[in-house]
Amino acid sequence: MRSRKILVLGVWLLTGTLALAAESQQSRGEQMGNGWTVEQVVALLKEGREPSVSFEEATYSSLLTEPLIVRGVLRFTPPSTLEKEVLEPYRERYVIEGDRVTFESERKRVKKTISLEDYPALRSFVEAFRASFTGDVARLKQVYDTTVEGSSRQWALLLRPRDSAGRSMVESLTLAGSEGQIETITIRSPDGDRSVMTLSRGSAK
Amino acid sequence: MNAARWPILVWAVFMAGALWMTATRLSIHSELGDLLPEGTTATQRLLLTQVRSGLAGRMLLLAIEGPDPDELARLSTALSGQLRTHAQIDFVGNGTQMLSPEEQQLLFRARYLLSGTVAPEAFSTEALHAALEQRLDELRSPLAPMVKAYIPADPTGEFLRILQLWSGWKAPAMHRGVWMSADRHRALLVVETTAAGFDVDAQDAIQQAIRASFQLVLGESSPSVRLLMSGPGVFSVEIQRTIEREVWWLSTMAATMVFLFLYASYRSLTLVFLSLIPLSSGILIGMVAVNSWFGFVHGITLGFGITLLGVADDYPIHLFSHLTRRQSAPATMRAIWPTMRLGVLTTAIGFSSLLLAGFPALAQLGLFALVGLGTAALVTRWVLPVCVPDGFVPREIRADLLGMLGYLAKAKGMVPMAVVLATIGLIWSDTPLWEEDLAKVSPASEGQKRLDQELRGAMGAPDMRDLLVIEAPTEEDLLRQSERVMPKLDGLRDAGLVAGYELVSRYVPSRLVQQQRQQALPDRAVLERRLGEAARGLPFAPGLFEPFLAGVETARTQPPVNRDSFQGTPLGLKIGALMMEHHGRWLAVAPLRGVVDRQGVTATVAGWGEPAVTYVDLKAESNRLMMEYRDRTVQLLWWGALAITVALGIGLKSLPQLWRVLVPIVAGLIVVVGIVNVSGESMSLFHVATLLLVIGLGLDYALFFNRAEDQGEERHRTVFGLLVCSTTTILVFGALAFSTIPVLHAIGMTAACGSLCCLLFAGFLAEPESHVA
Repeated sequence: MRSRKILVLGVWLLTGTLALAAESQQSRGEQMGNGWTVEQVVALLKEGREPSVSFEEATYSSLLTEPLIVRGVLRFTPPSTLEKEVLEPYRERYVIEGDRVTFESERKRVKKTISLEDYPALRSFVEAFRASFTGDVARLKQVYDTTVEGSSRQWALLLRPRDSAGRSMVESLTLAGSEGQIETITIRSPDGDRSVMTLSRGSAK
Repeated sequence: MNAARWPILVWAVFMAGALWMTATRLSIHSELGDLLPEGTTATQRLLLTQVRSGLAGRMLLLAIEGPDPDELARLSTALSGQLRTHAQIDFVGNGTQMLSPEEQQLLFRARYLLSGTVAPEAFSTEALHAALEQRLDELRSPLAPMVKAYIPADPTGEFLRILQLWSGWKAPAMHRGVWMSADRHRALLVVETTAAGFDVDAQDAIQQAIRASFQLVLGESSPSVRLLMSGPGVFSVEIQRTIEREVWWLSTMAATMVFLFLYASYRSLTLVFLSLIPLSSGILIGMVAVNSWFGFVHGITLGFGITLLGVADDYPIHLFSHLTRRQSAPATMRAIWPTMRLGVLTTAIGFSSLLLAGFPALAQLGLFALVGLGTAALVTRWVLPVCVPDGFVPREIRADLLGMLGYLAKAKGMVPMAVVLATIGLIWSDTPLWEEDLAKVSPASEGQKRLDQELRGAMGAPDMRDLLVIEAPTEEDLLRQSERVMPKLDGLRDAGLVAGYELVSRYVPSRLVQQQRQQALPDRAVLERRLGEAARGLPFAPGLFEPFLAGVETARTQPPVNRDSFQGTPLGLKIGALMMEHHGRWLAVAPLRGVVDRQGVTATVAGWGEPAVTYVDLKAESNRLMMEYRDRTVQLLWWGALAITVALGIGLKSLPQLWRVLVPIVAGLIVVVGIVNVSGESMSLFHVATLLLVIGLGLDYALFFNRAEDQGEERHRTVFGLLVCSTTTILVFGALAFSTIPVLHAIGMTAACGSLCCLLFAGFLAEPESHVA
């Protein structure tokens, strides 16, 4: 039960990471041709490093009549600290440092730390994240089935977890963007619910 | 001639009958539990039953040890999958899937009866609104995928609270979804067997099956990975195997030495084989007697019983040693019979004290030894003489042996000196006279004990030493009592006296509490109205909470949950370990974790003023129980000694003779106890039981040394016989003294020293021949 929760947290954090990395590519303005490959994406992710980016995440669920919106900031501090801070409608922070995940909520008066090592599912996501930053496409492909679609103007990188534990919680991750910019990250769950994270630069503190 | 042969016929018929019974009826048990004391109070008895067949005894701790954590995790998953299909295994835990889908269903259906937060105010409009807000938060958070399935039927979150409670123990660290030690070199598993921990044969079969499964999942790939096992069942099997192995080679060694020695003494293979007849007849008949009376013979009874019967091996030796050319074997037997008879009778009195000890193990042993001794004596008296070949004479006895006897008699002063020395040794020695810690007598190896500690520590499993016991006449009373105790236990935890506890009330509420919770649930119309108000302005889909409304309505009239609701599931096993019924009484057992200050806990629990609640330190309790039985045995021994003295007085009809027989034995006992103590050993029940054998041997030696009829050559034969007797005893038990098993060592050392001391002292104090120059 706990590991599933962490897995989802991992997806969340990872998407943020990818977003940060991809975001940084935008400024480089590299040319994207039709030969757009996973290797190229990862190569760009490896090079890119942006201190922070704002996000707006919408959760669509069959339980709800309208999506739930969360806004906040993603931050990356070298060498491997990643932070997702929620600012609206409440304040919460998730931080991955090395193999530790710290969750902090003023409202719930909670601050707890768990070890990544204890959660195989989350670890596979973080491995993917680290693989991306070191340009280790082989490792990324070990954890996900990867597909790239579209052209450099409008492309999508589809990641499907390879192991069944991962698939039972997350059907797919889709990173969609144009040229060097990631615009949205969509996480689909097997029951049809989805969350869409839209990224924008500039408003970071 | 034919008339003289009839005893052989009777003997042959008896033996054939006994052999037939042995073949068809004999049931040899190896369950150590059968030999444990039954306890004197009802609580003790119930507790011991639990120790024997309860969860604690049936739990095996497994560890897969190796260098690569990922490989260990794979093996853990594969092994637990294999083991879950095993018919003799009730439950396998390795960190994955704490509760099966069926169990989750069971808890989910009973959520409004089981959850501690169900109260009238929990269903007010305000509380419902707050709960719905919380669910929205969860949907926005990374928790969403795991909780959203429960939201329509359980918007107040009762089920997740119950789940937290059920899996709310200090679990080990995880790696790749399975339990792993902190250093990641051991994947941890826990197995609950169907068979009791003391059921050695069943445990052995299960453990072999576990090893075979492990080899299967391991395949050829990882030679550096190994499986470690611990738990009461593993201890039982290890103890049994060690005893079997040691007994086998020690007895082979002893038998070889005795055989060679007897052959050297008599130079006749026939006699060596004949000397085995009384002992083996005694063992056979003793076995049949115990089996008929108790319904089974315990393996341990057999082992110890044969030890005690060692004294019977002296009887044929006396006969053979007294044979001469002038006298037929039956005539020789008739001549020494009065002395032998008195020895048998008094030894039997000593053994019979075991019968009255009230400890099943000792009672079996007593019966076995008593019947075996009688049989051996009768066989020696009536059967053996007829079998001795005509004209047989033992070897010439060397003359210097007799000179030695003269020296012995002159050195009478050695006896009081030895006794004084032994007494001084006993007073000055730092070693306590009695062993009060049963664990030290346990034959389990130090390595195995250490592994058990390590695995328990890594698993966070209680060592089942400290228990809180609650008693009540009915299940409902028990649960209410337990609910009253729960806040007090929390107090103990807050005060730091215990690190944690398990209690049945954490899982199963009393009927009263469940009814109160049902009364707290509003009816459908009210709930629907409040929910409508609570959900106003929140983006939940219309009609989403229909399952919630239906669930609460059902719960209002649902039959209450009790122990039986969980029958046949791992949850049921857990509850069964925490509460039980025994002969119409109900008992809750709450294992306490991390108790350091046992006096503090005892005092606090006593201060609660709850007569139905007792704190039990199981280790202290079982030690105390064992000591009670030991004291009782020692007490019976005193009475036995008195009876022996009276019997001797009547048989010998002479006070000086009585003195000469009794003093060597008493002196021998004191010196043996002194030697055992000074060598750094404390006495246990096993030493006490062996002292009985020493008494038997001592009686035999002293009586023969003081035979009034012995003159000249006859006396030499007696002395020769006694030397042979004593040497065989020392050879057999001296071998046992080398055993690494504390119990066997204790028996061997006590008996070998006892035999030597009794022989020497009887020799010192024997009346010298009046007409020897």
